[in-house]
Amino acid sequence: MSRGGAPPDVPAAMELSREGEATLVARLTGSWRLAGALPEAALLERELDQAPAAAARIDAAGVAGWDTGLVVFVWSALESLRARGVPVTRDGFPPALERMLALVQETAHPPQPPAPARGLLVRTGRLALRARERAWDLASFVGETTQALWRFLTRRARFRGQDLGLLLDGAGPGALPIVALVNFLVGIILAFVGITQLRRFGAEYYVADIVGIAVARDMAALITAVVLAGRSGAAYAAQLATMKVTQEIDALRTLGISPTEFLVVPRLVALTLMMPFLTLFADLMGILGGAAVGTTMMNQALAAYLRQTAQSVTSGDVVGGLAKSAVYGALIALTGTARGLEAERSSERVGEAATRAVVSGVVAIIAACGIFQYVFFLFGW
Amino acid sequence: MDDTILRVRDLTMAFGDRVLVEGLDFGIRRGEIYVVMGGSGCGKSTLLRHLLGLQEPAVGEVLYGEESFTRAGPADRERMLRRCGVLYQGSALWTSMTLAENVALPIQQFTDLPPERIREVVELKLALVGLHGFESFHPWELSGGMQKRAGLARAIALDPEILFIDEPSASLDPPTGRRLDRLILELRDALGTTVVVVTHDVASILGIGTRALFLDAESRKALAEGPPAELRDHGPGKVRAFFAGGLSP
Repeated sequence: MSRGGAPPDVPAAMELSREGEATLVARLTGSWRLAGALPEAALLERELDQAPAAAARIDAAGVAGWDTGLVVFVWSALESLRARGVPVTRDGFPPALERMLALVQETAHPPQPPAPARGLLVRTGRLALRARERAWDLASFVGETTQALWRFLTRRARFRGQDLGLLLDGAGPGALPIVALVNFLVGIILAFVGITQLRRFGAEYYVADIVGIAVARDMAALITAVVLAGRSGAAYAAQLATMKVTQEIDALRTLGISPTEFLVVPRLVALTLMMPFLTLFADLMGILGGAAVGTTMMNQALAAYLRQTAQSVTSGDVVGGLAKSAVYGALIALTGTARGLEAERSSERVGEAATRAVVSGVVAIIAACGIFQYVFFLFGW
Repeated sequence: MDDTILRVRDLTMAFGDRVLVEGLDFGIRRGEIYVVMGGSGCGKSTLLRHLLGLQEPAVGEVLYGEESFTRAGPADRERMLRRCGVLYQGSALWTSMTLAENVALPIQQFTDLPPERIREVVELKLALVGLHGFESFHPWELSGGMQKRAGLARAIALDPEILFIDEPSASLDPPTGRRLDRLILELRDALGTTVVVVTHDVASILGIGTRALFLDAESRKALAEGPPAELRDHGPGKVRAFFAGGLSP
């Protein structure tokens, strides 16, 4: 918006005077544009503080050019004079300015702002209420998921088969390269640490046992789960949070399709099914990583290294690791989808949901790993 | 004096080899509300994208005043676009920001105003669209109509010379759509802004349009241009059918 022709060089100014004792007059002159320095409406208030007036008049006849800067000034001035109960007359206002002021005053109807939270007690109460709400949401999510999973197992769940296929592909074959690389490197690290420590006792020959057992029982499942938490868990959270922003989830609900059945269960099934396969592959890669170090640092033949690994690792170790991995897979899917579904409808929350999915996924995996260790120890497995 | 603020010269719009509309030639005068109308798939929104440089013409050019926008370099284009405000069909408010932040962003980026002055301008712009007091609200906390108005406040944040509006009444109920139309008219009168509206809403076209351009998907041409009421009463058969509701939007 640019009014009053080409911008003149005369700067904006406000001249205050009195008409008799009762009326304060503000004469506006020059170019009232945002880009220049503009007088503040607070000047009027200061003048009235010093010498009160029964009425005020704003004269804009001397304004040579104007834009939003003048509107902002006049609006503020009128509001502050009205708040003081000083009646205002307007002279020489351009018609367009009058229209804008009418528009602002006609449409302004501010809502009551929420009362600000004050005091420790109020804040504690709010925190407690929020915690209760979150606990309720979590319980609802777990309940709905269990129900939806039962419907899936009894073939009554509504979902698309091709979606499940794509999810299986994304969670399984799609993750093979990164799972292979990371677990191979972990095998190398374990072997290095093992050889370095065992050499002090002349027992470095047992590095194949240590690497094999560690990988098969825990490390392959754990490392694969952490990789998948960053890869699939974050993706699930971002997908679902975006679907919330674009109201796709609302669309499912209004169609009578449960988002839990349609979105959560397929992801849960895909990751729970794929994790054991990935972990089995990760076992192999971890052992090969250990073998790479074992054969080069100890001049041991590859066949001998692998034979020793096979003798030390029991089927129970492998099956235990695979069982853990299935649980980790379920936890990743659940945390990822829960974070996605609880996100608010904003693009910022999409990123936040992905971050929280990874963090809570990894925490859940580590916690589950600790519980598994304790249970396995109790039963002597 | 030529008061044409935006001119389209021999424009052909195409997706690859598929020509959407060809031979478009029209000018938009300062201060008018120019409506681009037509049925679904006729290229209305694509034309808007061409006017804003979001899509390049296959043939022809767009001029802002006498200056070619199509042939301009990135810096000149940015300068020309600075004169424009856009209200998108879905409002396109940044959902992670409050309404005040949405409106403030262009002012912060393109002016040197101090924060206090920016806050005043933001309040004024929101008040102009009837959203004073909603500064701290996020877009998702508002109704569709309020989001549209907030989008409008952001579009006029920098006092644009030309305001582009894509389907103002889309996804709004008719009364809300009419209220938005009235607001556009009032803003045009108050701000003196030239408004380019893309719509298929007949009530909106007749309610606010100064002149209108009818695009036809079948012939891939502009069939008619003129004041909406005149087109409704005396335009080509296809245009009259459109106004009578005989052409599906």
